[in-house]
Amino acid sequence: MRALGLYIHIPFCKRKCNYCDFYSLSCTQGAQISEYINSLSVQFKTQSHLFSDCVFDTVFLGGGTPSLLSPNDILRLFSAIRENFNIDDNAEISIEANPGTLNKEKLTTLRDAGVNRMSIGLQSYFDSELELLGRIHTLSDFERTFSLARSEGFDNINIDIMYALPNQKKADFLKTLDYVVEKSPEHISSYCLKIEKNTPFFKTVNPVSLPNEDTQYEMYIDMCDILSKSGYEQYEISNFSKMGKRCKHNMKYWLSQEYVSFGPGAHSYFNGERYSYSPNLHDYVSAIKDGKLPYAIIQESADIGENEKRDEYVMLKLRLCDGICEADFKNLFGISVAEAYPDIEKYIKSGHVLRYNGALRFSSKGFFVSNYILSDILFNN
Amino acid sequence: MNERQKKIRNFSIIAHIDHGKSTLADRILEYSNAVSKREMEEQLLDNMDLERERGITIKARAVRINYTHKDGEEYILNLIDTPGHVDFNYEVSRSLNACEGALLVVDSTQGIEAQTLANAYLAVDCNLEIIPVINKIDLPSADVDRVRREIEDVIGIVADGCPAVSAKVGLNIDQVLDAIIDGIPAPNGDEKKPLKCLIFDSYYNSYLGVVVYVRVIDGTLKAGDKIKLMSSGAEYDVVEVGHLDAFGLQKCDELLAGDVGYITASIKNISETRVGDTVTTAENGASEPLQGFKEALPMVFSGIYPADGARYNDLREALEKLQLNDAALSFEPETSIALGFGFRCGFLGLLHMEIIQERIEREFNLDIITTAPSVIYKIEKTNGETIFIDNPSNFPSTDVIKTAYEPTVRANIITPVEFVGGIMDLCQDRRGTFKDMKYLDATRVELHYILPLNEIVYDFFDALKSRSRGYASLDYEFSEYAESNLVKLDFLLNGEIVDALTFIVHSEKAYPRARKIAEKLKDNISRQLFEIPIQAAIGSKVIARETVKALRKDVLAKCYGGDITRKKKLLEKQKEGKKKMRRLGSVEVTPEAFMAVLKLDDSEK
Repeated sequence: MRALGLYIHIPFCKRKCNYCDFYSLSCTQGAQISEYINSLSVQFKTQSHLFSDCVFDTVFLGGGTPSLLSPNDILRLFSAIRENFNIDDNAEISIEANPGTLNKEKLTTLRDAGVNRMSIGLQSYFDSELELLGRIHTLSDFERTFSLARSEGFDNINIDIMYALPNQKKADFLKTLDYVVEKSPEHISSYCLKIEKNTPFFKTVNPVSLPNEDTQYEMYIDMCDILSKSGYEQYEISNFSKMGKRCKHNMKYWLSQEYVSFGPGAHSYFNGERYSYSPNLHDYVSAIKDGKLPYAIIQESADIGENEKRDEYVMLKLRLCDGICEADFKNLFGISVAEAYPDIEKYIKSGHVLRYNGALRFSSKGFFVSNYILSDILFNN
Repeated sequence: MNERQKKIRNFSIIAHIDHGKSTLADRILEYSNAVSKREMEEQLLDNMDLERERGITIKARAVRINYTHKDGEEYILNLIDTPGHVDFNYEVSRSLNACEGALLVVDSTQGIEAQTLANAYLAVDCNLEIIPVINKIDLPSADVDRVRREIEDVIGIVADGCPAVSAKVGLNIDQVLDAIIDGIPAPNGDEKKPLKCLIFDSYYNSYLGVVVYVRVIDGTLKAGDKIKLMSSGAEYDVVEVGHLDAFGLQKCDELLAGDVGYITASIKNISETRVGDTVTTAENGASEPLQGFKEALPMVFSGIYPADGARYNDLREALEKLQLNDAALSFEPETSIALGFGFRCGFLGLLHMEIIQERIEREFNLDIITTAPSVIYKIEKTNGETIFIDNPSNFPSTDVIKTAYEPTVRANIITPVEFVGGIMDLCQDRRGTFKDMKYLDATRVELHYILPLNEIVYDFFDALKSRSRGYASLDYEFSEYAESNLVKLDFLLNGEIVDALTFIVHSEKAYPRARKIAEKLKDNISRQLFEIPIQAAIGSKVIARETVKALRKDVLAKCYGGDITRKKKLLEKQKEGKKKMRRLGSVEVTPEAFMAVLKLDDSEK
């Protein structure tokens, strides 16, 4: 059977963080969330036939703040999922969680619903930084949530952290990192803060207050070094895991494997097409109510050309530490990497791209300038 | 003077920039019913978009107005518009020569400025009757009495009883019209004498060929006449004569002594109809041309290159088209290692340069890269040869230079007293020679300096404005070529000379200039994967250096969920930016960075 990833977007937060530009609404009304779950259930039902020959081997509840769901909504959502889609018995089922929104009851419910991977957003060790980021929790909230999750039996936990925050010193970030390593989660995602348009940070953060390029570089290199020494394998630019604990769902993105997503602002890759739903909850819900399918779909790329497919493949694959297997590439595209992208040679010479065991991949310093290199070698049409 | 001439008034309006010249012209047209309010587009005379936006008049124009005076008589008023800026001094003087009088517009909130004086003196030189018009009296800060006194004290013309108006709201415009008729002499000149017409403007029209604006001094001119341009001897058959009113060209039977009008004669190129030249008849023509003809010579030069090298031919076409109506613009092809194929262009001055650059970008939709403005240097070589250099990279090495000369200008600066110190420092710093200082009144001072033109083009105007909080005004005219100790300053990126960044500087200025530009390069060149040394050198001697550190971070660490399209778009956008980069040897530089370096703003101001 054809394997698929399933992504469900939960576009609600108690409060939006100052840096976040994902589609999400500040919401404390359980009724609105329940109504959304109803809509999703209707959509699942009307579209389930499209995926009748597929098996979902990953499920990912992202947001927003999926952990905001009430135990009842959690149960309703998962029963709708299982009623309409074939979920593999060994599927990786992840949920993103904010430490300010979890309690013992919810954790038990999640576990009973089949969730087996938890991604907890810590972001920083320092309460002052958490406040600056607009997070709704403190370090001690995290501390409590994390132990609770462990005691509820969650044995596959990711911790999200961030670096290059306004006024952050390298030592500050390393403290956060030390703390996380001490907690010994199975997976660590560590993102460099990017100031996005349409976020409060875009207006309030003075670029001068951000660590400079060299400091950011050192934070990154030190982090890779520390995590590697602590038993974490870097498998993607920003992702680290213990052996065998890579996030299977996210891997699908980078391996150009198929995934189907639901919810406003969610992006899918199915039958060779990339599409998304427009980021507007009201439109989304009322379209389902009016029986209008397929809702507000934004077609992103129907039937992309061979060269474009190739570019996309390289762009995504090079995010991974495994890089591009040169033999696979030749099999897929009938041309060698060196022929398709002659400019890559100079980056091999300069040590930004490494070639060994028949694979091409970025070195650590290459990762950190990967946009520069990718935009140079790709998209030559 | 005959009865016909008694009913003609030929006049110009002159003013400092922004004192309301064009607005007054509009009101005069409106008041005299030459154009109704409804048909009136703001600032009718300035019919280029650029002119309207910048509030300046670039090309002179002449409009004929029929006006019934309060004495019941009908008069013909010919309003000859003039460019208001120092760069176009010569054109202004020719326009003024076509008149008997001028309205000198002075802003009642500002008083006399440098160009007020420069223009007033030009009018005096042309023996014009000057009628001051005090404008903007509707503004709360208007001080009509002070400005009247200033006009009388500084320029020495009677301002008592002169019109005080608000062109903006249309107040007292009738007084201006009365003053024109009562105060400006009617033209004289003999219709029977051999033809003498002064060319004060011309423009290219794709249907008519060149339309030549003239003031008939003596004689009579009609369609079918064979005419001769006295500077070149070129002869043409007149196709049409007429005058311009608010609605366009109006054909008429003949132009007579004292008239202002236009001629068309199937002339293909406006470079043949130079402003200031004399038109006469081919047979029995005038024996002597009118005084004062000279060719407008470019003073300021700059390289213009297409940002996208593939658009070289488009750029050439744009320059050719602009030149059709701007004989003062000169250009010839040049090649730069850094910028590729482009043109070395000559301009009357900095404003003229900016206008041309802007028109290329707007009217022809071309992105261009321009090199820093330069002047013409005169070099006497050791072998006795004398050469003129308009491109810094052609400046010879010091061992073959016997003596180098640079153009200097007489600069006239008017400023409120409190800024005198700062401005004198600036002039000193720019190698100025102080001539004298005059108090216009208790609060304002006029300074005279001799300054090297190459210091003026090095952003002097902006520095002056910032040191006087915008209050000082500047006017200058060519003085002479003066001996000077000049050196050629090269910049090297990663060991290679970037020819487009070569400057000629006075040897005393070489070090600070080298340091400043090296710093600017450092700040404006984006980091690349390798370190880039920047050096400034005179000959083989490096006098300043900086380093652009290697790029260390350019990564999309963020995941964006499954939104692959967004990632791709980001990289594609970056790729687009890269395509625009100029490759200087092994270094990539954005056009913006280039311009930022070449735009020599005065960072210590």
